[in-house]
Amino acid sequence: MKHSFLDQYSDRDSLIHRLDPRTKLLTSLLFILAVVLTPPGRWPVFALYFILVAALLILSRVPLLYVLKRSLVIMPFVVLIAVFIPFFKEGEIAGSYNIWLWQLSVTYNGLQVFWNILAKAWLSILSLILLTSTTRFSQLLKGMEKLRLPGVMTMILSFMYRYIFVLVDEVMRMKQARDSRNFGGGRLRQLGTIGNMIGTLFIRSYERGERVYAAMMARGFDGQTRTLESLSFRPPDALFGLSLGFILILAMVLNLWYL
Amino acid sequence: MHIPDGLLNVATVATTYVVSAGGVGGAVRIVNKKLGEKQVPLMGILAAFIFAAQMLNFPIAGGTSGHFLGAALAAILLGPWAAVLIMSCVLIAQCLIFQDGGLLALGANIFNMGLVASFSAYYIYRLFTWLMGSTRKGTLAGGFAAAWASVFLASVFCAVELAVSGTSPFGVVVPAMAGVHALIGIIEGLITTAVLSLVLATRADLLQLQRI
Repeated sequence: MKHSFLDQYSDRDSLIHRLDPRTKLLTSLLFILAVVLTPPGRWPVFALYFILVAALLILSRVPLLYVLKRSLVIMPFVVLIAVFIPFFKEGEIAGSYNIWLWQLSVTYNGLQVFWNILAKAWLSILSLILLTSTTRFSQLLKGMEKLRLPGVMTMILSFMYRYIFVLVDEVMRMKQARDSRNFGGGRLRQLGTIGNMIGTLFIRSYERGERVYAAMMARGFDGQTRTLESLSFRPPDALFGLSLGFILILAMVLNLWYL
Repeated sequence: MHIPDGLLNVATVATTYVVSAGGVGGAVRIVNKKLGEKQVPLMGILAAFIFAAQMLNFPIAGGTSGHFLGAALAAILLGPWAAVLIMSCVLIAQCLIFQDGGLLALGANIFNMGLVASFSAYYIYRLFTWLMGSTRKGTLAGGFAAAWASVFLASVFCAVELAVSGTSPFGVVVPAMAGVHALIGIIEGLITTAVLSLVLATRADLLQLQRI
């Protein structure tokens, strides 16, 4: 099986790829925070955010079509939740429909909030895609560890990352075995089969965990993981952080100015 | 049920982050004290297991599909604090790798699918095994109820957070989410029961692990 479904394109090289993962994590968080804090209807500010994230995506040399496709996968869920807003917000009525017994009316105010939520969600997703497709997961973990994520969690996460590939392979083989034996029957039968597959997977994973631990003990594991690569905060990081901070402050000022 | 960014307002984000950070911090402390670093590889592999198990989709009506959440299973097998830690790691990885759930919404997602789901599942399971005894019947019934409740309660909290943020009116999102997840919870319950009966039949000792 090809395992490029996780952090794809993160092994490429560009200005953005070379930044310290801490810089990227913190600026992504700041960016999303700024986006979420922006009040509805500030379209020039949203345009500024979009230009910013688009420029960074172009700089990162990640295929744009891939980013677009990836970002649209999450949107249906957002639409599903936000779709009720236009009908429930009070305000000037933009249109009204009679459906069977109900009278539904859409307000301008509601529509604006709806588009606003869609824009916020999309911009946030774009920035997350930028983060993960320019940073290897191991680097990201290292950055999170330096930013005080508890050691146990980074270790669990790195083991998880290491074994996802093994277990996903296992799942693929089980799926193939299931399908070649004509996976059919009623709903209940199907659920039973999936239950058995997950149960088998659990027992195999548990036994693998025991073996891995024994192997690590045999090699002198003392609860610490040591790696050769270390992170360094360099001038480009400072420059990147400062300029992004400046743009976000500009956006905030623009927000106030529009009030 | 993974909330993306942009749907929650800042007050909700801040509150859920503080609560989840406290919960996860508590879990780290307790797991460190009771296990040391000893079972870290095991927990990492079990987190990968939950992640892989979530890839097994099953069809629900109308072309949509659902998948296993796994919080209840983890809580029943390993205890609520270990489950909180495992689910948090799964959610962090899903957020960073698949953009499934937002970065700012991570606190809310860990709260719903980590804390709420794990603890409700664990105590409901304990209640059932206490009432019916640790028999096969008690274990399976407890597993079903725990899994159903974990999904249902997590979805209710998710809906309340969305409603409080003003993303969707209270009267719509809470009944809708709760209704849909009452059904999804039945599926989660059936799968969890099947998993538990398989584990009982093949490696019953795994149900007697030290729970934290």
